[in-house]
Amino acid sequence: MAAIAPAIDERLEAYADLAVRVGANVQVGQTVFLTTQIEHAPLARALTRAAYRAGARYVDVRYRDDHVRHAMIELGPDEALTHSPEWMKQLYRAMEGGAQLWTTGEPEPELMNDLDGERVGRARMKEVVEIIREQMVQRSLNWSGVAYPSEGWATQIYGEPDVERLWEAVAFCTRLDEADPVQAWRDHMARLEGRGKVLTELQLDAVHYTGPGTDLTVGLNPNARWMSALFRTRDGIEYVPNMPTEEVFTTPDCRRAEGTIRSSRPLVLDGDIIEGLRLTVKDGKIVDVQADKGAGIVRGQLEIDDRAAYFGELALVDGTSRVGRTKTTFFDTLYDENATCHIAYGFGVPEVFDGDPGDGMNISGVHTDFMVGGPELAVDGITKDGTAIPILREDVWQLD
Amino acid sequence: MAAGLTRVDRYAELIVQIGANVQPGQIVEVIARIEHAHVARAVARAAYRAGAVYVDVGYSDQHVRRAMIEHAAADVLSWTPPWLLERAKHFGDVNAAIVALVGDAEPELLADLPGDRVGMARMKALGEELTRQTNEGLNNWVVAGVPNDGWATQLFGTPDVDALWELVEFCVRLDEDDPVAAWREHVEMIGARARLLNDMRVDSLRYRGPGTDLTVGLLPESRWQGCESTTSVNGINYVANMPTEEVFTTPDRRRTQGTVRSTQPLVLGGQIVKGLEVRFEDGRIVDVRAEEGASMIEAELAIDESAPYLGEVALVDATSRVGQTGRVFYETLFDENASCHVAYGSAYAEAVEGGVIEGVNVSSVHTDFMIGGTDVEVDAVLHDGAVVPLLRDNVWQPER
Repeated sequence: MAAIAPAIDERLEAYADLAVRVGANVQVGQTVFLTTQIEHAPLARALTRAAYRAGARYVDVRYRDDHVRHAMIELGPDEALTHSPEWMKQLYRAMEGGAQLWTTGEPEPELMNDLDGERVGRARMKEVVEIIREQMVQRSLNWSGVAYPSEGWATQIYGEPDVERLWEAVAFCTRLDEADPVQAWRDHMARLEGRGKVLTELQLDAVHYTGPGTDLTVGLNPNARWMSALFRTRDGIEYVPNMPTEEVFTTPDCRRAEGTIRSSRPLVLDGDIIEGLRLTVKDGKIVDVQADKGAGIVRGQLEIDDRAAYFGELALVDGTSRVGRTKTTFFDTLYDENATCHIAYGFGVPEVFDGDPGDGMNISGVHTDFMVGGPELAVDGITKDGTAIPILREDVWQLD
Repeated sequence: MAAGLTRVDRYAELIVQIGANVQPGQIVEVIARIEHAHVARAVARAAYRAGAVYVDVGYSDQHVRRAMIEHAAADVLSWTPPWLLERAKHFGDVNAAIVALVGDAEPELLADLPGDRVGMARMKALGEELTRQTNEGLNNWVVAGVPNDGWATQLFGTPDVDALWELVEFCVRLDEDDPVAAWREHVEMIGARARLLNDMRVDSLRYRGPGTDLTVGLLPESRWQGCESTTSVNGINYVANMPTEEVFTTPDRRRTQGTVRSTQPLVLGGQIVKGLEVRFEDGRIVDVRAEEGASMIEAELAIDESAPYLGEVALVDATSRVGQTGRVFYETLFDENASCHVAYGSAYAEAVEGGVIEGVNVSSVHTDFMIGGTDVEVDAVLHDGAVVPLLRDNVWQPER
């Protein structure tokens, strides 16, 4: 009998290496925790191999299955929706000091559409989310997420299961098409870091968004910086939590936001698609949610805890974004949020906040990014003396 | 069973109702490979319909295991991550119902790896914990097979999953109009055999056939069991294997003598063991030979002190539906029910009056291998020295 080792897809291995080495930056001897979906198995397997190649001591892979989740939401009792299994809390606590990888790319984007939106929104492991939040505050993990091109996801984007076309888009967005992707990422992150530095030095008091259906002012916190997604753990391990990433971002003063904002792209949330989202904000809080489709999902999310309806993140992206240049709506936050400016309600960004979290930075079990950018959106920084400094006009960065 | 259900849903209903016998309010653990997702999902639905409070599906992936065996340090191979041990303990503590799915999708995946490393790659502490839980009767559980491409290919040479489904449905009585009633009848028939053997007061079993001359001594406290088991903590009846055709008991680990030749191939940790021959002296396996895969067996026998002693002896005759198919399934759950078998490693405490007493083997290993067939004669030697034929030409003798 001829023994056959599994066939190796070189592009997938290179992609996994990039996620492990530049993304999570797995260290020799680290335990790696990979959270993935069964439909992403080829990538999960490649990430596992790449992590061991990078010197991981042990790779723990947890496959989730949205069909099982669907069964729970459809048929399970109310208490199941927010149940956090004891062992899973242990698992997340055990991640302390480890590296974490996760995968995205919905294989069945409309799976949850036949369910009660309110139950879908409520289905969250609250206590597990608490632990993750604390770890993010403590900066105790180096982690990263990458997408897996699947047939379902390709169909959602292109109307046909053209996985190869999606692979090419993913490779372009993650700079896998470069001769030396690792160097290309170093250059890219240096440029974004530079933008963050300039914005921080301006010591802005607020950001003002204007465009069709949008007139929103969000206050900034003097304790918060602007930065790119080049993160450091408290032990000094540098990592890039999202691949791709094109944004510079900050965490706003969650107490100061006023006006209306219209989402410029669809948003996929818990398997549902939300279109034409319009929010009204008063004294920092989202007080009204309208949408052409899926408003109930957002409303359900905003009720998960009493801070969910406050903003946690502002992010700026210009037209040089590789994701933006594909002119594609990916129906996946990891990608779409990097095509254009976005805002998140819910949990803030501890990495950019100096001082006690809670003093202006929002703390919540929710963090949902929605896209607001595009050529029609103008973004200005407002200084303490009220001067408006243009940051974005027609998708062009004004400060470089 | 509700009408109009799909093949997979009908199977899941049987697994949940007759197999694990899931009770309202129970937590249900499902142990599956990612290739079993179609059945795991149906089991989750059936369990919620039966009143489960939460269904926790844990998927594993042999490719992830392969990467570990290839790359991880030697001390990691048998290491149990503490969170997985906690997970197992949790399901014991809450007296969960457990559904374990088997059916190897890539039976030769590990064939090119060093047999000693494959043999070592077993979570030892986890094995011990599960043995403890089984012996204490904490859970109502079932093991069932999932037809998949790889398994079908191993049987037929082509991925004819439909043909495999039909075989599985025949073996688990899903071809009957009322499978639930058919199972009740079957459980009663096997139960009657167990009662008869218990009344006979068997001191030892003798096996004679080509390459086989084996005596297995029993304990005065050994009790023969049929298909149905009962949890000790809450008295839930369950059928631990689907299919099941055996009466079995726990032998005296010190009193196995002679030579036995396996009559069917055995799949172990992704490798196939063929032509296994084992010699016992004073209960202990002292010599292992095989045409293929002997190193796998040797590595397993070295896992702990008690691994090379017998923990189970089981009798199966030609009325077995598995046996009637005339097939080798390359899957212990099925093959052990085609034919008489013994297992080295851990014993079932429930099959002994008094539980884990002197002479009952306790190990983190439990591997069944098949020793029955038309060429093997089995006799019972009673306490008074009388010899009673049990099997001739694969026909059960005491009922004649």
